[in-house]
Amino acid sequence: MTSEQQNSKALIRERSKKRRSLYKSVDKAMQFVFRFCGLLAALMIILIVFFVTVRGIQVFLPSYDDPVSLREFLTGMRWRTDQGIYGVFFIVINTLVTAFFAGLIAFPLSTLSALMIVKIAPKRLSNILTTVVELLAAIPSVVYGVFASGVITAIVKRIANLFNYTTFGGNSMLAAILLLAIMIYPTITSMAVVAIRAVPESHELGSLALGASRTQTNFKVVLSSAKSGIFAGLILGLGRAFGEATAVSMVAGNAFTGPTLNPFNLVRTLTTTMLQGLHETVGTDYDIRFSVGIVLMLVILFNNLAINALRRKIESGD
Amino acid sequence: MRQQTDVKLDNAFVVNDLDLYYGDFQALKNINIKIPLNKVTAFIGPSGCGKSTLLRCFNRMNDLIESARIEGEIYHHDTEIHGKEVDVVQLRTVVGMVFQQPNPFPMSVYDNVAYGLRCQGVKDRRILDEVVETSLKQAALWDEVKDHLNRNATKLSGGQQQRLCIARAISLTPEVILMDEPTSALDPIATSKIEDLIIELKKSYTIIIVTHSMSQAARISDMTAFFLLGEMIEYDDTDIIFHNPADQRTEDYISGKFG
Ligand SMILES: Nc1ncnc2c1ncn2[C@@H]1O[C@H](COP(=O)(O)OP(=O)(O)OP(=O)(O)O)[C@@H](O)[C@H]1O
Ligand SMILES: [Mg+2]
Repeated sequence: MTSEQQNSKALIRERSKKRRSLYKSVDKAMQFVFRFCGLLAALMIILIVFFVTVRGIQVFLPSYDDPVSLREFLTGMRWRTDQGIYGVFFIVINTLVTAFFAGLIAFPLSTLSALMIVKIAPKRLSNILTTVVELLAAIPSVVYGVFASGVITAIVKRIANLFNYTTFGGNSMLAAILLLAIMIYPTITSMAVVAIRAVPESHELGSLALGASRTQTNFKVVLSSAKSGIFAGLILGLGRAFGEATAVSMVAGNAFTGPTLNPFNLVRTLTTTMLQGLHETVGTDYDIRFSVGIVLMLVILFNNLAINALRRKIESGD
Repeated sequence: MRQQTDVKLDNAFVVNDLDLYYGDFQALKNINIKIPLNKVTAFIGPSGCGKSTLLRCFNRMNDLIESARIEGEIYHHDTEIHGKEVDVVQLRTVVGMVFQQPNPFPMSVYDNVAYGLRCQGVKDRRILDEVVETSLKQAALWDEVKDHLNRNATKLSGGQQQRLCIARAISLTPEVILMDEPTSALDPIATSKIEDLIIELKKSYTIIIVTHSMSQAARISDMTAFFLLGEMIEYDDTDIIFHNPADQRTEDYISGKFG
């Protein structure tokens, strides 16, 4: 090796050493930024949960002005703010039933729509459907609420008349269910579309090469490969159903007692309870909304755990 | 009409004057080949010469490629497989396929092997159990999976997955199994297992295999066809192709002068 070559080599080594130390410090800085972002997100969750929990628990403590019995709160079947009766149990049931049926309606429709969009519809139709779903997802809750209280309630009224039931102007559990089904449909659909798009083509080819028809391939292989993502969509959708307050409060009617299984009866959900008259009230009636918030968070948590368990069960075998 | 002598009983396929186009591009040029029954036929040739394309003709997987257009005839026994009366689904149960990348479905080992039969409407658990067992045994996988048939197939090793895919193809008792570079994603041990398996399988099945490995073609095939730029240059007994080829280009390819 000539001395020139040696020199240039040394030079390169020197330079790359410098550059490496530069990269290292950039790496470190970026790592710090990422950590910070992660920490911020975690902090927000902790703060919200902490704040709601502290405010929500205080009404049950003896130190509170006019303490509410925790047992009566958790098992109560009546919610009479005017009489100081706060029983959340029937509200939980109403919430679960409403969200469950909304999911029951929306889930299959969403799954089939997603399959249609990705696998069956010709390109143009598929693009149109995608746009429709995106638009549906972008409509604000309050618009859904106005629509529901004007249109859905009228339809429900007709249906009720058909069965010789009376409703309170169509405000009812059925109206809330239909409204929520429409609202969560785009959420679940768009998640399912992503999941179905991600199914590797090799699975489909494998199925077709085994003499499966298109339909068999779509249902047995494509949907089952996309299961995880579709269930994630269901979790998100039900989360929206549990958490939707504005629109639901426009058709639920805020029943005083319950639970009800009659679809034409008024209902009260956790969110509507928290929202209704929030700004016109003080004292126990105000503070107890935080307690309802804790219950709502717990309901959502258990719901997610349950769906995950269900998914695991479906995934592990037939 | 072609004379009936072309459609001899000892052939699984007879291909006459086959041209295949992807849009304007001609990928196969005037292919004439007879695939003998219960033999292993190997397709060799440099990348892009049309081996996979020809292989996909036999179970009409090219139907799925929008731009693909076929001229010419492919006889399976005495039926032309593009004929109106031919049901593609039916054809694919008779002509199975194993892909380059193992592609087990994300479900249990059992369900993978039972899939084809279930699609044909078989529900009887006893029949399914039996077919799953015999297929896995034929694919030399039974001993390794018999204790966890309910495990997800994607958890198997690559070589096991490929044997599972072979079992899946066998489950429909096809006449022909098409294999497109079935060992190219596998390590040498898994490869030799599959090669042994192919030699075993040719007792019951006609096998057409695409391979880039000269030694593999020489080891396991009875007949070898050499392709170049969409043309079939030479087709003969494997021994002749490898030791005494008629065409200079075949010799060059086999001796590794290009590829
Ligand atoms: N779906 C397709 N659309 C358009 N052209 C294609 C398509 N599939 C293959 N081709 C073209 O047809 C020719 C033959 O391809 P083919 O996959 O049959 O080659 P091959 O011999 O299997 O190659 P390899 O050894 O790399 O797998 C290539 O030029 C390829 O680019
Ligand atoms: Mg190929």
